[in-house]
Amino acid sequence: MEWLFLIVSFVAVLAAGMMLTRQNAVHSALFLIVNFGCVAFLYLMLDAPFLAMVQVTVYTGAIMVLFLFVIMLLGAEATTDTSGRMRWLGFAGTAVAIILLLIFAFPLASNMLSDERAEPPATSARLRVINAIPGGDNEPFTIEDMGQTVTMAGIVTGTVMLDSADDASADWRIDDVAYDYTRDAIANYAELPAGEYTAIAGVELAGFATSPMLSESLTLTTDSAHSAVFYENAEGVVAVALLEDDVRAPAVGKMRLSVFNAVTDRQVALVDVGQYTARRSLCEDDSCNSLIPHRVLIAHLPSGQQTSLELEEGSYNLAFVDQDQAILRTLADYEAERGVIETRVLVREPGVPGSQGSYRAAVFTAFAVPAFGSPESVGQVLFIDYVLPVMLVGMLLLVALIGVIVLARPDALAQAERRRINRRRRVNRPLVSVIAQQTGADVLSGEYMAKLPGGGDDKAAE
Amino acid sequence: MNPIGAEPYIVLSMVLFLMGALGVLMRRNAILLFMSVELMLNSANLALVAFAREWGQVNGHVFVFFVMTVAAAEVAIGLALIVNIFRERQSINIDELRQMQG
Repeated sequence: MEWLFLIVSFVAVLAAGMMLTRQNAVHSALFLIVNFGCVAFLYLMLDAPFLAMVQVTVYTGAIMVLFLFVIMLLGAEATTDTSGRMRWLGFAGTAVAIILLLIFAFPLASNMLSDERAEPPATSARLRVINAIPGGDNEPFTIEDMGQTVTMAGIVTGTVMLDSADDASADWRIDDVAYDYTRDAIANYAELPAGEYTAIAGVELAGFATSPMLSESLTLTTDSAHSAVFYENAEGVVAVALLEDDVRAPAVGKMRLSVFNAVTDRQVALVDVGQYTARRSLCEDDSCNSLIPHRVLIAHLPSGQQTSLELEEGSYNLAFVDQDQAILRTLADYEAERGVIETRVLVREPGVPGSQGSYRAAVFTAFAVPAFGSPESVGQVLFIDYVLPVMLVGMLLLVALIGVIVLARPDALAQAERRRINRRRRVNRPLVSVIAQQTGADVLSGEYMAKLPGGGDDKAAE
Repeated sequence: MNPIGAEPYIVLSMVLFLMGALGVLMRRNAILLFMSVELMLNSANLALVAFAREWGQVNGHVFVFFVMTVAAAEVAIGLALIVNIFRERQSINIDELRQMQG
């Protein structure tokens, strides 16, 4: 990689030098194109493929063609550089440039060679807490605290403490209060520096913290995402699962659906029920227990497990069924949008168990992280964070376009031409001599004629 | 991941920028002057992209995008001016353009 960089940068500097020293402007432009091509290659090496392509199309394509066009249009290939008078400026400029380069580049280069380079600040890793404990004001749940089983009721907070293994001062606490999953609660990711951590998970109820339920080492890397899901396990006791979320972009034209089963004591399957009418006849009468032929997307997902699948873009009628073929939850007209990553946590809501409404597939979306420097990532930032500047730049281009049209309009040429013609046609003969020429007879006698400006010449010519 | 850090790119962009500045100072041809300015803008872009990679932020790329757009607009206007000046005086040597009066 180093030698590649050295070769490309050498060619770039060489091309820039040739551009500066050529006498023929066309050669200079061609060397500048070589230089721009090298810079585009360096962009590729810097993980900026989109910019590399823009560089080739806009710079070496549009701008340099414009330059060559103008040079050849004007026939100004031979650059008439003035010599002598300002020659000292060139030498002085070169000297100043070299001195500046030494001052600024030397520390950088020495830093480059030494081993103790500053670590590049890592992009952050992401962690979120999903609280899927069947909560509510009066819903009792059971936890194990100090080896004892305790049953409590109330709104509970799931908490993950992250203890950094490298740095004693860097501790993080992420928590999520579970309430009202009917409104599709979204647990946001917390951004954390990458590194080795010890994750200690527990729950809190009105300030009372239980003893840790989970303590395991967790390695957070950049571009990774984790979820800590609190749920009731098969024994009916609150447990926590630490999952790694797959946030890579799904395959083209697909979405990724992850399903976490947080339902106590039930295996869950996700099935594609099929057509709308079929689903209607399936569930409008109360006999939801029998299923028509369907496509099984996920089979046998035990409690406390997560799995994911990729769905083609389109509309689906999905249903979660348990091992007894009872429908726990339907997702009617489920729209699978391309590029979306969605996590569904199937939780039991407080209420009468068994009825269809008592289960909920809470949505936790996650956006795919596009690769750094890809058109996707640049476009996202460009058209979400920088919409106004994009508009302003578009306006600037429009103004530039109008300006160029105004500057290059034929009138500009016509005015200069007219001025030249007017200069040539300035009347320097007296009117009388013109009349005399046209009528063929002298209007005035010769002695008066001689006194008039320019009149004598005409007289002599006649 | 790329084993080369940002520093070599910064040094290269400084070298290219100074060469562009020298071109602006030394060349008297208006078109070559413009090309030197393009070289300077391009080296600044290179530094921005290097920093963007170093910090893992795409904002640098966005800024480069804007610089390219502005450079395109500037070149269009500048070349139109140069064409007009050439029509008027049959020369684009900037030393001969010492008066504003057309």
